[in-house]
Amino acid sequence: MSDATSSTIATGKPSGFPVVPAVEMRGIIKRFGSTVACDRVDLVVQRGEIHGLLGQNGAGKSTLMKVLTGLLTPDAGVISIDGVPRIVKDPHAASKLGIAMVHQHFSVIEALTVWENVVLGEKGRLDEAATIKSVRAISERYGLDVDPTAKIATLTAGQRQRVEIIKCLRRDPSIVILDEPTSVLTLAESEELFSTLRYVVRDENRAVVLISHKLDEILNATDQVCIMRSGLVVAQLETAATDARSLAREMVGREVSLRGEAVALGLIQEAEEIAVEAADAVATPAGDVALRIDDVTVKGPGGVRLLDHLDLEIRQGEILGLAGVEGNGQVTLANVLSSLTDVDSGTVEVAGRAVRAGKAGAMARAGVAVIPEDRHAAGCVLDMSVAENLVLDDLDRVSNGRLVSSSKIRENAIRLIQQFDIMCPSPDTPMRFLSGGNQQRVVLARQISRNPKVLVAAQPTHGLDVGAVEYMTEQLRRVADEGVAVLLISTELEEILALSDRIAVINEGRIMGTLDRQEADLDRIGLMMGGQEL
Amino acid sequence: MTVPDQVTQSEEIMPMLMGPKVGKTRAGNIAINVGLYIVAFAAAFLLVSILILATTTTSPWDVMHALYTGSVSGWAAIGLTLEQATPILIVAIGVVIANRAGTFTIGPQGQFLMGGLVAGFVMFKFGLPVPVALPLCLVGGAIGGAIWAGIAALLRYTRGVDVIISTLLLNFVALELVDFCLNKIFLLQENVPTSPKPPQSAQLTTGERLPRIGHLPGFSVTSGVLIAIALTVAVAFVLARTKWGFRVRMLGLNPTAAQAAGVSMALFGGGALILSGAFAGLAGGVWFAGIGLRLTPGFEGGLGGEGLLVALIARRSVIATVPIAIFFGMLHSGGGYLATTGVPTNIVDIIRGLVVLAAIMPPVILHVWDNRRSLRVARRSAQRAVAGADLVEVAA
Ligand SMILES: Nc1ncnc2c1ncn2[C@@H]1O[C@H](COP(=O)(O)OP(=O)(O)OP(=O)(O)O)[C@@H](O)[C@H]1O
Ligand SMILES: [Mg+2]
Repeated sequence: MSDATSSTIATGKPSGFPVVPAVEMRGIIKRFGSTVACDRVDLVVQRGEIHGLLGQNGAGKSTLMKVLTGLLTPDAGVISIDGVPRIVKDPHAASKLGIAMVHQHFSVIEALTVWENVVLGEKGRLDEAATIKSVRAISERYGLDVDPTAKIATLTAGQRQRVEIIKCLRRDPSIVILDEPTSVLTLAESEELFSTLRYVVRDENRAVVLISHKLDEILNATDQVCIMRSGLVVAQLETAATDARSLAREMVGREVSLRGEAVALGLIQEAEEIAVEAADAVATPAGDVALRIDDVTVKGPGGVRLLDHLDLEIRQGEILGLAGVEGNGQVTLANVLSSLTDVDSGTVEVAGRAVRAGKAGAMARAGVAVIPEDRHAAGCVLDMSVAENLVLDDLDRVSNGRLVSSSKIRENAIRLIQQFDIMCPSPDTPMRFLSGGNQQRVVLARQISRNPKVLVAAQPTHGLDVGAVEYMTEQLRRVADEGVAVLLISTELEEILALSDRIAVINEGRIMGTLDRQEADLDRIGLMMGGQEL
Repeated sequence: MTVPDQVTQSEEIMPMLMGPKVGKTRAGNIAINVGLYIVAFAAAFLLVSILILATTTTSPWDVMHALYTGSVSGWAAIGLTLEQATPILIVAIGVVIANRAGTFTIGPQGQFLMGGLVAGFVMFKFGLPVPVALPLCLVGGAIGGAIWAGIAALLRYTRGVDVIISTLLLNFVALELVDFCLNKIFLLQENVPTSPKPPQSAQLTTGERLPRIGHLPGFSVTSGVLIAIALTVAVAFVLARTKWGFRVRMLGLNPTAAQAAGVSMALFGGGALILSGAFAGLAGGVWFAGIGLRLTPGFEGGLGGEGLLVALIARRSVIATVPIAIFFGMLHSGGGYLATTGVPTNIVDIIRGLVVLAAIMPPVILHVWDNRRSLRVARRSAQRAVAGADLVEVAA
């Protein structure tokens, strides 16, 4: 949608003629073995509108969109683009039709730079200068700040997500599909993106399908909402005529409780009230220190301090929220606590014992469980089964001596699948075949069920549907009440305010200060996030 | 709960029968798979026949008959086939371990040579009684191969040197080292009264060899076969059932998640590489003590490379290496017989190459078919739905 290349867009039909929808999917069926991911789905998207697609984890949203982009071939159904029935053979055919998609999981290549990733797959000669220029233009226009010459490997999850979006928009598609494009972006970023997208779509007569679990995003950004449940379309609503509560109800098929919903919605006042309630209800128990991070420094490439003399203490039974603008050392901290990164100086103590950082599995053995921000990188093994993924770092629990017991693995899997409501055909299903949100549930289930001393949750609600967010938050509260020290890392201030007993703020790898929940307010935290010491 | 066809996850099932879903039922699917393999092998056979007609004066039928006679026509031939398959199989299961851990090595050639060399020293230089020397020569062979792979592992995990490159170079070094040892009387060269002395070691006497099972002209095979069988079973079990196997698989599939879960890349990745070296070295020892009986320059004779190929075709399955290695053994025994009929034995190399291709192609073809089929279904369903109106396909 860069200005330079907007000549390809079809202009709207003169008024008075029947409007031909940009996308018309009729009776789409897609089965995977015995699973019916899409069951006679109809979806009509008009030009000039943003069409929300909502549904629980595993409802079939991503599958439907993969059918539209030719990544999957439907078992039945017709797709018409601008009124012409089409066979979308493969993604290449889709891109010829002007369809482009941002996928739920990142597909950027770590070893390449941002601009190289953006041109990847395009035909013709590479023009570095022109590409960089166009990346800058799109960044600026949509508020997607990223350095075109940076290596992907050095970027945070949020920055990678921006690259994915830029990559899609640069193709100048007239039909844009966004599958959870803002799962790791902050509310402010997503607001900016969608406010621009809205008028671009209207002015240039494009069509957008937006999949999101953030109800407020759906409410603010879309014109129409289609709600799916178990492969079926259960409702088709005009956004203006609905509200968060009814969306949630349609999606889940029951009322969703206040707290989970508030967090999911990012409704600040509501969330604050609840949190205060919660804080009042549970008088912070002063347990022993479970995790002590003492003067830890980690240097990155070029000597940059990713963590800079960082001190942090978390007591048993408390939830410490780590607030901060993304890219200020949160990932490095989580990596240190996952034994993925060594420290240059300083110590990490778990329950009073020093743990060697960087030694494979040392943190896990000491009782630290991490729910990583990027589940595909460190959280799971896609080509192992769900059952195996539920025991990755806790093999001893399902072994007899040196032998792994397949019956114990299975029992464990059946229990957790039920407890965490993981949707999968069987425990032996490869992790790869699960929907994004269900993969996240597997990671959560494994880490919570390990009985850790310290639970580190980085963006734990990433990709979860409203109901699962509710369950997730309940679980965090429960494990804390049972005496686990919880470190909640999130770029969503609302999530932190709603859940934490204490709040620490990180900036450029340093802790700017720690506040009790009662004394925390948005202004103060905001200032600290900007780099002001307490 | 019914399990959909796609989610058969056991890696030990012969992967070649588990291609993409093409048939309507599971049995149909397997039938189509098998059929495709038959077609692929028939095509390879045809190509080979044409080649034989074009380049030799023998008929393809005679060549095939000679291969058959030499490999499976009687108990003696079968014994020979199994014997030839033994070192290839031992190398191949080692390579499968390394591949499972995500390490790609091309070092078996050098490790095989080092294994044989160490075995040679143990047998000829230490003057030990045979009951001690024989087991020690096999253990020494394994250690020789392990050390050779260990160098590559060390370079990889301390200096970051690519394993493919280091193992390739180590292959050359091993070749030179063997040559050197076979050219020095004080090392391994046989002291014969002729001049110049040939660059080779002495030959193991009858009493010094690995015991044989059975007698010619009936079934007769080196007891090394038992070692290969025992190792295959053990490795399949260890990879599938033990914590170590679980961790090695995890490492191969996602090193980052493995590191977080306590699987150290250096320890497990390096360990798997060294183990694969030990297998190749052991194969060298078994070959020397049971089959070759004497060391000559380049005595490995391509066996290491064939082990790699077998592992390549078997993909990640230990069990699948067995039939494939036996097939390679057939080409050896049959090829040996063929040579006595005066046909150039390069033909056997060509057959091997074509057969490897024939074994690798079907999954690719099936994948393409699968895509075509689902597209056909989609097209038909869409056609029916739009009833007469034109479906438009985007030109590629
Ligand atoms: N390649 C596949 N093989 C087998 N089953 C699959 C495959 N892809 C998806 N599924 C199944 O299809 C169903 C729908 O998955 P899909 O990814 O469309 O869900 P989703 O609505 O995008 O959910 P989420 O919000 O969690 O991303 C799930 O039950 C999933 O397990
Ligand atoms: Mg999805």
